[in-house]
Amino acid sequence: MKTYEIPQEIQDANTLEQKLDLLKNIGRSFSVFRIDCGSCNGCEIEIFAAITPLWDPERFGFKLVANPRHADILLCTGPVTRQMYYPLLRAYEATPDPKIVVALGACGVTGGIFYDAYSVLSGIDKIIPVDAYIPGCPPHPASIIYGLTTALGVMEQKLQKVSFEHDGDMPPLVEDSVLGNTLFERDLLVHAKRLMSYVFGRKLFDKYISALVKSGNTKDAKATKISITEAMQIEDDPRYAECMGILHNEIYTHYVMCEEEDKIDLHRVIWGAK
Amino acid sequence: MMKLLDISKKYGEITHKYPFEPYKVADNFRGKPAYIFDLCIGCAACGIACPSNAITVQFNNDQSKLIWEFDCGRCIFCGRCDEVCPTGAIKLSEEFELAVKFDKSALIQRGELDTQYCTTCNKPFSAKRLVKYSFECLSKANVSEKRLEEAKEYLCMCPTCKKTATVATFTSGKEMVIE
Ligand code: SF4
Ligand code: SF4
Ligand code: SF4
Repeated sequence: MKTYEIPQEIQDANTLEQKLDLLKNIGRSFSVFRIDCGSCNGCEIEIFAAITPLWDPERFGFKLVANPRHADILLCTGPVTRQMYYPLLRAYEATPDPKIVVALGACGVTGGIFYDAYSVLSGIDKIIPVDAYIPGCPPHPASIIYGLTTALGVMEQKLQKVSFEHDGDMPPLVEDSVLGNTLFERDLLVHAKRLMSYVFGRKLFDKYISALVKSGNTKDAKATKISITEAMQIEDDPRYAECMGILHNEIYTHYVMCEEEDKIDLHRVIWGAK
Repeated sequence: MMKLLDISKKYGEITHKYPFEPYKVADNFRGKPAYIFDLCIGCAACGIACPSNAITVQFNNDQSKLIWEFDCGRCIFCGRCDEVCPTGAIKLSEEFELAVKFDKSALIQRGELDTQYCTTCNKPFSAKRLVKYSFECLSKANVSEKRLEEAKEYLCMCPTCKKTATVATFTSGKEMVIE
C-alpha cells in the first residue's frame, strides 16, 4: 500500500550525498527531535535513560529539541497508529532538509509485536524513507547510543545478513541418559522448567544431574538420596536446594523402585539447611 | 554553583565510556537471539512460540527446502524461542549492538533445511533432520528393537498417511501389544 508520495522537492533535497555532506560539515551539535508514533512508551523511557549523565550523548553532540523545525535527526518510535499518521508527516515535512530519519525499537523498524494490528501501519519506513534502524524492545540505552553513532558514521555496522543454504550433517544431539532412559531426562527438564523457569530451570537440571552422577550408582535409591541431600546442604541458594529435593521426590521415584523412606524430607531443618 | 561542584566531586565521573570502551551488560541480559544452524532440526517450535512472528518456518516455493527465517527487526527479545527450542539451536546472546543503516535486510538470519517427503504419498511434510532427531531420541529411550524398526517406517510418513496406516493395522487385526 502506497500511503504517501514524497514531494519532489523534498526528495531532491534529501539525496545521500547531501546527507553525508551535512554529517561532515555540520560544525555544531545534532538536534534530535523525538516523535512518538503510538509507541507503548517503553522506547521513550529508554531514550530518556540514554540522555541522562550516565550515558551522556552530548559527548557526541546529540541534543533533544522540542520542535521539528530545529531538528537534523528525527527519532521515530512506535508502529505508526492511524492517529499519528498525519502528525508524523507534518513533522517530517517541517524538518529542514536534508533530514536524517532513525526508526527506534522493534515497532519503529517493522511494527514489532503490533505488526498485524488493525490500527497500525507497521513501521516508519512504510511511510517515510528511513536511514538507520535500531531494533530492540525497547533498545538498551547503549544500543541507542550505538545506533545514533552508527548513523553518523562514528561506529561501524556489525550485523550482516546471514544465510545458511547448505544442509550439512547434524552432530549427535541426544546424550546418553544417566538411567538408560532419556524419558527420565525429558521429564526432569520439563519439571525443572516448571519449577524455576527456563533459565534457572536448566541450571537446576544440571545441578541435579551432576549430584545424581556423583552418587556412583544412579540406580541405587539409597546412594542417590545421600548424594542429593549432600548437594542440597552445600547449595547456597535455598531455591535450588528445595527444588532439587522436589525433583528427586517427584521424578526420580517414578523411574527407580523406591520406598517411602527413600524420599527426601523437604523440611529445611531435617535436611539440614545452612 | 560551588554546591554543584561539591556534589560532582563527591560522586565522581559516572558516565559510561561506551562506545569508546566495550560495555558489559548485566547477567541474564536478553540480547539478540543467536542461531546455530548446525543444531537446528526444523521443528518449528520457535516459530509457534514467537509472539511477534519474528521467526517463520516455511517451505519454499518448490517445497524442496524448509526455510527458517528470523527477522531481528521484529523480535521483542522475550526469550520464548530459547525456552522451547529442544536442541539449544537458538539462544539469547548478549549482543546489543544491532543498529543497521539503510538496508533492513541486514537484520535477517535464515537457514535452509532439506525436506523430508512422505514415503507413501510423496508429500513434503517436515525436515529430514527432525526425522533423524526423533529416531535418535527413540533409540535412547529404552524401547524394544521391534518397536524401533516400526518407528523407522512411521517416522517417514506424513500425518495423514500415518493416520490411515494406523487405522488399517487396527482394523485388520495386525496391531501389536506394546512391550
Ligand atoms: S519497540 Fe517495544 S518498547 Fe518500543 S514502543 Fe514498541 S512495544 Fe514499546
Ligand atoms: S526472543 Fe521472542 S520475539 Fe524474539 S525471536 Fe525469540 S520468541 Fe520471537
Ligand atoms: S530446533 Fe530450535 S531453532 Fe530450530 S526450528 Fe526447532 S525450535 Fe526453532
